[in-house]
Amino acid sequence: MKKRWIHLMVVLAALAFVAACVCQPQVVKPTEAAKPVPPAEKKVQEEVVAAPKPAEVKEAEVKEDVMKEEVSPLEDIHFAFDDYSLTDTAKTILEKNAAWMRNNPNTKVRIEGNCDERGTNEYNMTLGERRANSGKKYLSKLGVKEEQLATVSYGEEKPFDPGHNEEAWAKNRRDHFAIAK
Amino acid sequence: MKPKRCMHKRLLNIVFLTGIAFILFARAEIAGAKIYIDIYSPSTRKLPIAIAPFKNLGSTPDKENIASQINGIITQDLELSGLFQVIDPKSFIENPRAAGITSDKINWSDWSTVGAEALVKGGFSLDAKSLTMEGRLYDVVQGKFIAGKRYFGKVDDLRLMVHKLVNEIIYQLTGEKSIFETRIAFVSTASGTKEIYLMDVDGESRQRITSHRSICLSPAWSPDGRKLVFTSYKKGNPDLYFKDIFYGNEKVISQERGLNISPAFSPDGKKIALTLSVEDGNSELFLIDLNGNKLERLTTNWGSDVSPTFSPDGAKIAFVSDRAGSPQVYALTIEDKSVKRLTFEGNYNATPEWSPRGDKIAFSRMTGNKFDIYTMDPDGTNIQRLTTLGSNEDPSWSPNGRYLIFGSNREGSKKLYIMLANGSNQRRIASGKGEDTNPVWSP
Repeated sequence: MKKRWIHLMVVLAALAFVAACVCQPQVVKPTEAAKPVPPAEKKVQEEVVAAPKPAEVKEAEVKEDVMKEEVSPLEDIHFAFDDYSLTDTAKTILEKNAAWMRNNPNTKVRIEGNCDERGTNEYNMTLGERRANSGKKYLSKLGVKEEQLATVSYGEEKPFDPGHNEEAWAKNRRDHFAIAK
Repeated sequence: MKPKRCMHKRLLNIVFLTGIAFILFARAEIAGAKIYIDIYSPSTRKLPIAIAPFKNLGSTPDKENIASQINGIITQDLELSGLFQVIDPKSFIENPRAAGITSDKINWSDWSTVGAEALVKGGFSLDAKSLTMEGRLYDVVQGKFIAGKRYFGKVDDLRLMVHKLVNEIIYQLTGEKSIFETRIAFVSTASGTKEIYLMDVDGESRQRITSHRSICLSPAWSPDGRKLVFTSYKKGNPDLYFKDIFYGNEKVISQERGLNISPAFSPDGKKIALTLSVEDGNSELFLIDLNGNKLERLTTNWGSDVSPTFSPDGAKIAFVSDRAGSPQVYALTIEDKSVKRLTFEGNYNATPEWSPRGDKIAFSRMTGNKFDIYTMDPDGTNIQRLTTLGSNEDPSWSPNGRYLIFGSNREGSKKLYIMLANGSNQRRIASGKGEDTNPVWSP
């Protein structure tokens, strides 16, 4: 019995010693020039390298450029910074737009929500979405049928004015009403 | 005869011997793992290292100047790592023609005199289109060989071979895997519209991998590093695409009405968190499977919830919400959907990214009209600012959690920069035409 306990104590003591060593990594400090040591060069490992390559991109067919903006019979509305509520000016414009849409019930309209470039791309997509929905809700209230209206957010991705100043930013915070094809 | 007692004694003997064996083995391991660069230490002393010109060990002449390419890539990588001071080769004493690449042929004082504490030597040989390259790492101070590796492959894969050697060098000196075999996915306007690109960490091997001719955004890597998910307007709506990088095939996996944006893979690779606005027009976080089937709605709140990032244990998601009035960073526990606000300073905190080490969350804060990168602990404390010049956003962690890549316009147009996790050693990554944004570091 005693022997067994001694064995156990030795194991535990040794483990404790090892644990102590693990906790103190030795940092190299420059010492005087070392004496040459027989090389253990046989320890050079070998590896075969073969790089997997990402697939080649096939060119997309030339198609109509979605980025071009066509002249719309409907007027844009604009928003205050970080806001998606409708100003009185916006409401007046929406009333005019609604009238046109009620007169052209078979023409689908896409409400495109946009932001200025400040803020992050991802958060701005959600803000653009709110702006588009804001416009859609009001138009619905004015009697435009739901089926006629689609919404999409472009966030800050399609600025009307590429400038980097207050003037450009104000123009970019908008809902644009595109005739959907 | 007392069999029970005999068994007992045997068992204890086995345990004892196993214990001793383990200790001896462990002791040997620890003795070999000398830490040359203590990267946990707050003071970043760079280790002085010399890279001797690699020798042509074969009979085929080096027409492509492989030797200087190897040297150039090693130097560039070691400098990018922020851990080394590479000694100017012009100060070398050793005669490269006469000296050998094994330690019996090295005169250590040639190297300690120029200030080197570590030394890299190596050689290569060419044979038609194939290349063999070997590199050896030496401890100049102790005058001994640390490790060596020999690589076989095609000449075309030279860069990868050298990156692997650099990774090995850094591993031997720090005990940690480094970044030089990783890649960056990002968005660039180089082709005229926003497409997804890949590049190596040093900016080389830039390659476009989408051809949507529309707007591609927000790439995110799968944990196996073989796939990307991203948002694209190719079909007129921000839809979520899933792409196998090596086979090239691509498919839409989420095309709900409204937004399918800001995707993030779960650490187990089986789910994707993203923002959808289909259910009530409001931007909320959802979990979907790899076929796009909705698994769970994570947020239910009047605010816009966007930009999810998983904790490395997969239990939590940090994200951006304006539920308190302006964009702030929150943490959601997936199991019970409880949400805790993390940022309280400033009125615009966004683009959170949880470190793969789990110890930090990087994010960007807008002050005035510009952004800067910050890090904080996962409970929102210990906020550190890492950038000051220009506007800096979209941080992404290296898989070892030691580096961040981010976008900055500090030199005029939007390019990508790398820095250490403490903000030091900020360097622009070699770039091409157009503006580069949205970088994400591969696993």
